[in-house]
Amino acid sequence: MAEYDLTRTIIPHCDRHLVFPLLTHIVENELFPAEQVQKAQYELAKETNMVDYAVSLFEQLYPDEAVPDEFAGKRENALSTNERLQQDAQAVLDVITNPEVAQSLRQDKNQNLQYLKEHYNVTLEQINALYNFGQFQYSYGNYSGAADYLYHFRVLSTDPDLTMSAHWGKLASDILTGKWDVALEELNTLREAIDSRSPSVPQFASAPSSSITDPALTQLHSRTWLLHWSLFVYFNHPEGRTLLLETFLSPTYLNTIQTSCPWILRYLAAAAVLSRKSSTGALSSRVRHSIREIVKVIQMEEYQYQDPTTNFLKELYVEFDFEAAQKELGRAEHVVGNDFFLTEFRDDFMDNARYLISEAYCRIHQRIDIADLSERLNLSKEDGEKWIVNLIRETRMGADAKIDLEKNVIEIHRPALPVYQSIIEKTRGLAFRTQALGAAMTRAQQAPPATEVLPAEVEAR
Amino acid sequence: MSSDDEGAPKAPAAKPAMSRFLRTAGSDSDSSDEEKSDSEEESEVSQEEGQAEQRRSRFLRTDIDDDASDEDVTRVVKSARDKRLEEMEACGKTMDNALKINDWVAISNEFDRLVRMVQRQQNVSEPVPPFYIRQLVNLESALNTAVAKEKEAKKKMNASNARALNGMRQKVKKVTKEFEADIKRFQTDPDAFEREYTAVVAPEAAPAPRPRARRAAESEEEGAEDDAFTTVGKGGKAMAFTPESIFKNLQLVQEARGKKNTDRQEQIRVLEKLLAVAVTSYQRIRVLLTLISARFDYNSSVATHVPIDLWVNAQSEVDQLIGIIMREPQYVIQEITEDYDELAERTPETEKDGIVRIRGSVISFVDRLDDEFTKSLQNIDPHGTEYVDRLKDEKGLYCTICRSQALYEKTNSDDPLGRVIMRRLEHIYSKPDAVVHALESTVAASDIKPSIVLDVEGQTSSLIHSLSIHLYKSSNSFLRTRAMLCHIYHYALHNDFHTARDMLLMSHLQESIYSADVATQILYNRTVVQLGLSAFRCGLIKEAQATLQDICATQRVKELLAQGVHQQRFQVLSPEQEKAERQRQLPFHMHINTELLEAAFLVSSMLVEIPLLASIDSEDQKRKAISKPFRRLLDFADRQIFTGPPESTRDHIMQASKALQNGEWEKCRDLIQSIKIWSLMPECNSVKEMLAKRIQEDGLRTYLFTYAPHYTTLSLSLLSRTFSLPLRTVTSIVSKMIWSEELSASLDQAAGVVVFHRIELSRTQQLALSLADKVNNMVEQNEKTLDNKLGPAATWNDRGDGAKGAKGGEQAAERRRGGERRGGGARGGGRGRGARFAQGLGNQMTGAQRNR
Repeated sequence: MAEYDLTRTIIPHCDRHLVFPLLTHIVENELFPAEQVQKAQYELAKETNMVDYAVSLFEQLYPDEAVPDEFAGKRENALSTNERLQQDAQAVLDVITNPEVAQSLRQDKNQNLQYLKEHYNVTLEQINALYNFGQFQYSYGNYSGAADYLYHFRVLSTDPDLTMSAHWGKLASDILTGKWDVALEELNTLREAIDSRSPSVPQFASAPSSSITDPALTQLHSRTWLLHWSLFVYFNHPEGRTLLLETFLSPTYLNTIQTSCPWILRYLAAAAVLSRKSSTGALSSRVRHSIREIVKVIQMEEYQYQDPTTNFLKELYVEFDFEAAQKELGRAEHVVGNDFFLTEFRDDFMDNARYLISEAYCRIHQRIDIADLSERLNLSKEDGEKWIVNLIRETRMGADAKIDLEKNVIEIHRPALPVYQSIIEKTRGLAFRTQALGAAMTRAQQAPPATEVLPAEVEAR
Repeated sequence: MSSDDEGAPKAPAAKPAMSRFLRTAGSDSDSSDEEKSDSEEESEVSQEEGQAEQRRSRFLRTDIDDDASDEDVTRVVKSARDKRLEEMEACGKTMDNALKINDWVAISNEFDRLVRMVQRQQNVSEPVPPFYIRQLVNLESALNTAVAKEKEAKKKMNASNARALNGMRQKVKKVTKEFEADIKRFQTDPDAFEREYTAVVAPEAAPAPRPRARRAAESEEEGAEDDAFTTVGKGGKAMAFTPESIFKNLQLVQEARGKKNTDRQEQIRVLEKLLAVAVTSYQRIRVLLTLISARFDYNSSVATHVPIDLWVNAQSEVDQLIGIIMREPQYVIQEITEDYDELAERTPETEKDGIVRIRGSVISFVDRLDDEFTKSLQNIDPHGTEYVDRLKDEKGLYCTICRSQALYEKTNSDDPLGRVIMRRLEHIYSKPDAVVHALESTVAASDIKPSIVLDVEGQTSSLIHSLSIHLYKSSNSFLRTRAMLCHIYHYALHNDFHTARDMLLMSHLQESIYSADVATQILYNRTVVQLGLSAFRCGLIKEAQATLQDICATQRVKELLAQGVHQQRFQVLSPEQEKAERQRQLPFHMHINTELLEAAFLVSSMLVEIPLLASIDSEDQKRKAISKPFRRLLDFADRQIFTGPPESTRDHIMQASKALQNGEWEKCRDLIQSIKIWSLMPECNSVKEMLAKRIQEDGLRTYLFTYAPHYTTLSLSLLSRTFSLPLRTVTSIVSKMIWSEELSASLDQAAGVVVFHRIELSRTQQLALSLADKVNNMVEQNEKTLDNKLGPAATWNDRGDGAKGAKGGEQAAERRRGGERRGGGARGGGRGRGARFAQGLGNQMTGAQRNR
């Protein structure tokens, strides 16, 4: 199944440190020769300041060779740099952590700077020391420390480039320490920052084409990076999948996926399948909507990217070929199981995928042979029956479907939608939309668009 | 005008000649055969006449001395300044004449001419000739007397004459003011003034009287001593063209250029001979530059093309020119150079930085060559052998273009390099691989190669790609646009529909193409059409239909593709418009076959439209047509009382459509496949197969739509047999129709049948439904209008990205999302294709929501 492994595609879009977990995962699932992976790990660690880790990897890789001397020098160097940077940063940190100061800090960054300068003689360079130290800590693996320093830096700094860089650093640190809530928050602020203006690319993220200074292009780059990084968060945070759908399906990010990284569609598809059940109730119809949308995108990008997960959705919702869908599902199970992000959700995925199949199946058919359906779902006859009963109980078609045990079939009678109801459906949104139009027009008249009036209206409804 | 080596010592000799010349200014050889009789003033000018006579006789003698054979080409050729002087004098003469008969209108005109000439004289920083000053003084006095006379005898002058007189007074007053000082000096001592002038002019004038016909070189030395007019020796023609005289001859040719009665052919002959005797590279370059332009000058009218043999020669000469410059980098041809002496030989040693810069432009030659090639193809009958023969020259032309590309790559000149690459790209973008390979092989065989060439087994698309990439980097947006279109066209030609489509959408050209120039618009149309055809070849019927729709629906396909002039029904083109139109036409070998295009469009329309027609049940919905032209044709075909066997492509398709409507898919397939034009498609067979499959599927859909009301159940296996489709495909198609609610039915798996649930709607219900639809449309229209009005920047529908307000009511949130997506297309602008897709998607999604 190595051909469906995305690790190699994803790595170029991740930070060096984020790649470690990916590689560790590869070692575990043994898709690639262990030696190769170890070598990759070593190459990766060599360039960081995590000297001890690199050395241990080296020893694992070449048990009979002496550890190169450069490591010792590097270690020393790192220690001294650490010392120096820490001293620089400590001065500022002392001031900031002073509760009195913390109280008098305001929203306005410039004012804060002024204040700090007047009272505590803290200059801009000193604040930058925070950034440097944070970055250095990150480079030798002290992620939580890095997160702290970068946070403080971001509060104070006014330099947009460095702030952006600090954002990315903080996000990476949060991801690596596994604080998903914080990471999620960070992710959202970062996303806002990227969307709000055409940002400069953080230095470490600059792709080889950074010579092109087209702001649209850099924004595309940042978004691509954000998409990849957010995978870490979204597939670990409990609410992640729904949020993933929200983010990735927003037009700007959907565009980014289509233009620069179609392989993200796998995660989008998986998330759509996964959130089918977890979000019954209020969200269900939106999720179905999301599946439709994703199927459209998958269809459109088929020539660029396809794998069992996307093919499953395509076969199910475009071709309505249940046999092929079932086959794809079988392969998708492996793919999902081997994927770094999805491996946790394999059973969930299978469960939900079955639901999707049977739901579609039931909607199209009037009379279904239970044995046949069980086969479609890769289940034994007994299990299949249970499953179907559960399905009928849970979904809305409870009233319409009846099981005839004698013939071993399900009969579904779906009364046609009365005309009046379909008219109501059709016209339901019109009043609201017209209202929105009106509001927009009045807003257009007042030269600077007023603050968001409409969400309030939404809530009111 | 600084003299060359031999100029200086001869100066004193020239001096008396000059002054004598000037004294006789009033009349000279050409003015003597003026038509106007000047009998009255004969007495006054008799002295001068006498002198002229004398001179003329000497002149004549030389003519007789000359060998009689080329009498006709014997012309007195003077230096530029002398000629100007002569012209001025002729002008003065006419003025004098007019003065005699009191024709002030003529005087006024002549005077204007004179003033202009003097101005030109001053522009080249030569002193004002005394003749002019004298003329001014004379005029002034004549004016005064005329005015005085006028007062006495009022009735004599007509209105226009009087007006001219007054005008002259003003003008003369103005001009005399300008030359006040000169006039004063002249008046005090005319002779001294004249002497002064000759003193200034003489040293420079030395070489001026020298050139004399084409054979001046030999007899030059004696000639110069002898009274400024060369006695032409008996030396043969071969003698006349020596390396030393090249520059003089060149200058002669250049001066004669553009004159009315210059014999162009003769000039070309002269230049060819000059080229044969040219020794140094400098000479060769100079001669070549002149020769090539002379060849292009051959035709004076814009409409006709340069004769082919001349073109071929010019092409080989451009090659030669490029070869010289490439071999000897110390010679450079530039469009703008410092002034240099046209007559002197120059070598790298004589120049300051060791580089000889020569005025000229290779790129303009290449441009012209290419344009002339196209022009000749436009004028040759495309069905004759001549056309094919002419096409063979493209190889050489392509080679020349590549050579010039190599030249500009070497000199690092971006602008011409871009232009030349564009030319190259335009020669290959629409050609099949084999032709491109043939063209490229000649380049590979040439001694001068550009950096980008195609290997023997290389992919043409990689060549096109690298050429286009080069142009994308150029600063010229015009070139970028064209390169983009050529690139897309090429992808489409190679059936890479997805890449081509993505590139076209990402380029956002469709938004700005309306403001582009006509040629680019034509290229755009071609690209779009080719894209549609490629979609058709790939079996993407819907896409093909949608892409071709815009162009094919206009009924002006030929005009839009520049493949023929459209007959306007209501307005008649002015001759200029028609001429311009003709000049835009593409040469025949680049045409996209319009019949094939029409067939592709109509067939894809048929496959889209017929199932749609079948699915419509109310009269009201019938008006919604995807392809209006197809619908029109179909209606027309329906009205026919009697239909014979199909003849044209259209007939075939119309009868096939009817067969499809009736569920006779086999007949439909046979009809479609028997269309002959398909054979023009490279993948004819696979296209036919694809069409057969699509006809089966769409036949099934049509059948279901049409006959569903008459059945309660329908067996799947029967369907599969009728349409000879695998059961699985039938099930899949039916399921799709059920899922998308096109068909109100469900499958009975146990019995293997489709069960139809049909509800008959009452009239009121129908009306209510259509009313709801209309209201929906209206709201949508309003939203679009507002979107347009607020511009792409204002996204009124965008309310905080939807993420935050997720807790809002489900319905609202959903709808908001739809709205957001609609606005999102505009907001996401700049990120290309995705934005557009999302936009389209958004609209569909909202539609889907509403239907639910």
